[in-house]
Order: sequence, then C-alpha cells, then structure tokens
Amino acid sequence: MKKIILASALSLCSINAFAEVAVIVNSSNTSALDADTIKKIYLGKAKSFSNGNKVNPVNQDGTPVTDEFNDKVVGKSSSQLNAYWSKLVFTGKGTPPEKLASDQAVIDFVAANGDAIGYIDSAKVSDKVKVIATF
Amino acid sequence: MKKLSVAVAVCAVLASSYTSAEVRINGFASIVGGKSLDSDSTLYGYDDDITFKNESKFALQLSADLQEKLTATAQIIARGEDDFDATFEWAYVTYEYSDELQFSAGKMRVPFYKYSDFLDVGYAYRWVRPPKSVYGIPFSTYEGVSVVYSSQLGDWDSTLQGFYGAFDGDIDVFGSELPAELNNLGGINWSLSYDWFSARAAYIVADTSISSNDSGLIGLVSVLSDSGLTNTANDLITEEDKTSFVGVGFSVDYENFLFDAEYTQFEVEDSILPEQSQYYASVGYRIDSVIVHFTYENNDDKHDSSRFNTIESIPTLNSAVNGALEGLRAQSNVYTIGARYDFHPSAAFKIDFSRFEDDITDTETDVVAVGVDLVF
Repeated sequence: MKKIILASALSLCSINAFAEVAVIVNSSNTSALDADTIKKIYLGKAKSFSNGNKVNPVNQDGTPVTDEFNDKVVGKSSSQLNAYWSKLVFTGKGTPPEKLASDQAVIDFVAANGDAIGYIDSAKVSDKVKVIATF
Repeated sequence: MKKLSVAVAVCAVLASSYTSAEVRINGFASIVGGKSLDSDSTLYGYDDDITFKNESKFALQLSADLQEKLTATAQIIARGEDDFDATFEWAYVTYEYSDELQFSAGKMRVPFYKYSDFLDVGYAYRWVRPPKSVYGIPFSTYEGVSVVYSSQLGDWDSTLQGFYGAFDGDIDVFGSELPAELNNLGGINWSLSYDWFSARAAYIVADTSISSNDSGLIGLVSVLSDSGLTNTANDLITEEDKTSFVGVGFSVDYENFLFDAEYTQFEVEDSILPEQSQYYASVGYRIDSVIVHFTYENNDDKHDSSRFNTIESIPTLNSAVNGALEGLRAQSNVYTIGARYDFHPSAAFKIDFSRFEDDITDTETDVVAVGVDLVF
C-alpha cells in the first residue's frame, strides 16, 4: 500500500514538473493583470479588475494544476492555504474561490462569465477564453 | 436574554433568506485529549485522568448573502467543557460598503489578540491552544458594532478596526464564575502586513463591574465602609471601574521559519483585580507538512506598591487590606514544546507538552495534550 502511494506521489510530481499553468479570463475582458495581482485575487486581497468590475475567481479541486498554481503563483501549500482561508471564513472576512472539478469546467465557467478568472493546464487552452499569463 | 435575541434575529434572517440567497455552511472541529502529569495539580482543566472532553469542540457556521453587499453570519459552537451544549459564539450582519469599508453589527469577537478572531479554529494555528498566559481574558465576545477599513500602504496591507458595544455574562475570575458587566466597551485594532511579516496593536477600554462571592472580601468591604473608610472599601470592589487593555505583537512566516510574539497589559483601576502584564515568544520551523515549535510565556499580576499600607493608623484593617491585595498576586512561566502534522489537506494532528511554573507557590505542573483539528 505504502509503495503504491509513493509511486502515485512520484508520478504526480513528474506530471507537475512538466505542466504549465495558464491563467484565463473571459474573451471580452480587457484588463491587464500581473502575477502579483493574480496572487492577491486568489488570496481575497484584490476584489476588482482594473476597470472596477468585481472579480469572480474559480479554483480547481485537488487537480495537479491546482498544486502547480498554488506553488508557483500563490506561494503556499494546500494546507497553508486552507489555514489561511479558515482565518477569513470563520471571521466573516472572506470566502475562498469556488472549486470546479476540471480544466474543462473552468473553461466553460470563464467563457460564460465576463468577470471570471481561472487557471488551467496550458495544454488545454481553447479559443473560447483569453490567456493573460502563463507560469 | 439580549444575547439570545441577537442570535435568534440573525437566525431568522438566515432562515428567511434561504429561498432567495445562497447559504454557505462551513465548520471546524477539534478533538483534544490530554492529562496532567502531576497527581495533585490541574492545568488548563486537566487532572491526572485522561480526558477528551475538556478542549474538544465542534462548530458550524451559516452564512448568507442576503442581497448586494449584505451578509448574515451565525457560528454555533458546542464545547466539551460545557457538556457540548451548543451556543451562538458569533451572530452578526455585515454591510460591505466598498472593497475597503465594512460595517458589522451583532455578537462578535473582541479583538484583544492576534488570534482572537479564530481562537476556536485550532486548524488556523500551530499549538493545541494559543498561549494561555496572554490569551487569558475570561470572555471573548461582545454585542455591538464594528467598522473595518482595509487599505494598501505601498506594499503593506493595512486593516484598521474600530468597535463599540458591551459584554454581559458570567466570567471566570481566578477560579470562580462571577456575573460581570462591561459597558462602553470599545477600542481600536490596527494590523499591518507585508508578505512574510505582520504586526498589530490594539487599545481597548471599558467600564467593568464584577460581583464578588468571596465572603472574606465582602466582610472586609463592609467593615471598611462601617469604619468610614469608603475610598478604601470602593477600591476593593469592582464597580464601573475604568478598564484599559493594550496589546501589541508581531509575526514572521519567512520560508520555513515562524516566529510570533505578543505583549498585553490589562488594568481595572481601583479594584481588587491586580494590574496584569503578559507576553509570549514562540518559534517554529516547518519541515514539509510538519511544524515543530517552542513557546515561552510569562505572566505577572500585581498591585502597584501605592495600593498597600494606605490605612496604617488602623493596623488590623491595614494588614487585612494588604492581605486581600496580595492574595491575587500571580507570577508564572510556561514552556511549551510541540508539533503539528498536516496529514490531510483539511486536518492537522498536534501534540503539545507544557510545563507551568508558579513562582508564588514554587510548584510546577506538566500537561500533555494530543489533538486533531479539522475544517470543513
């Protein structure tokens, strides 16, 4: 059992090492976002785009690209992020971005919502959405 | 009654909004087992029999976005120390005026300490319990209003909070549950953070009244009053006495190195309660999903020397007053060594060993506690 877990952990690592993360917004969104602002959006510190529209971020739920995004962009492990959000959630100061199940679910959500932002495996990028940064 | 009505009001709002708004349910829990290693002394509620009840708790939070910018939140906690009777810990409504400015009203947390807002959420910190020498004020919530202003000062995030309200309930004063009232309870709380560094300062005032059930003290006060020593008598009771609290602290979370320190000072003027000052310093080191930590705490409660020997002309009463004032003297240190292991994205395992040294009685008490903290 232990060996299987170790093997799957290693295979996750190797996928991670080669995946690139694409941050996507709705095609109609003309805002420019730098890495720091994307990080602030995913920590609930920035709540609006540069044009003043409320931002509607979505996460993924436990997919390899989530770990990649948390590590490269947010700079926290999933446990650290959980601890961070628990401080905000249980004091009414913030709500973490909704979690969607897959890259495709994020693409569909971002394509349908003008104020959305999400991240996906860069290999899955489609022309329904606009890539504003890759990591 | 007042508390109940706030809770019921928020609940009614939550219930009525059910059809029209999204209700979020979050929760957290801690299951903690522990025991004192000494047969004749207790610490943090532990004696030498293992108990899982004392520090365990379960909580549910319901939160509803009523309409644009208005949110109602209620948090219900069942604590093992209260036989898991569920009570409303928080119940409030928030109006988000802008991204920067938030107004809240209801039952909320008094921002005494850095970890005040999530005292009960064990998952949010590395210890089994926050350092008790500092986190020692025997009540933690108030009913009133709060305004929070969040802004950016260059690369720093600033959060400035002002609040006003009152507390009315039974509190634990040196081991006995006494009815207390804190009116005109208000203050400011400012925190600044920059990536890996954060600092905060809080200043809080109140008018405090606590009814004593100590027959010795009550007797002494009435003898003093009968002897015409009204001032001395008044200085031994706690009735609408000016109260002030100062708390400062800072935290570092740099790469794998963690450091926290807080200093607090608390005084109920002209009362039997001594001036209190406390601090702790805690270091931690993160190794993958494990944090090991060490914490030193210090507590010093004493009356100013000017409070003693005020009625030397009446030696018996003078020494009785001195005795009453000296009786609440406290001086102690606590050393805690522990570890936290994040074995699951939403759960952490913790073990803490604490040694409490009482410098007045020259005794020490050791406690070991093991727990699992969850968020869901």
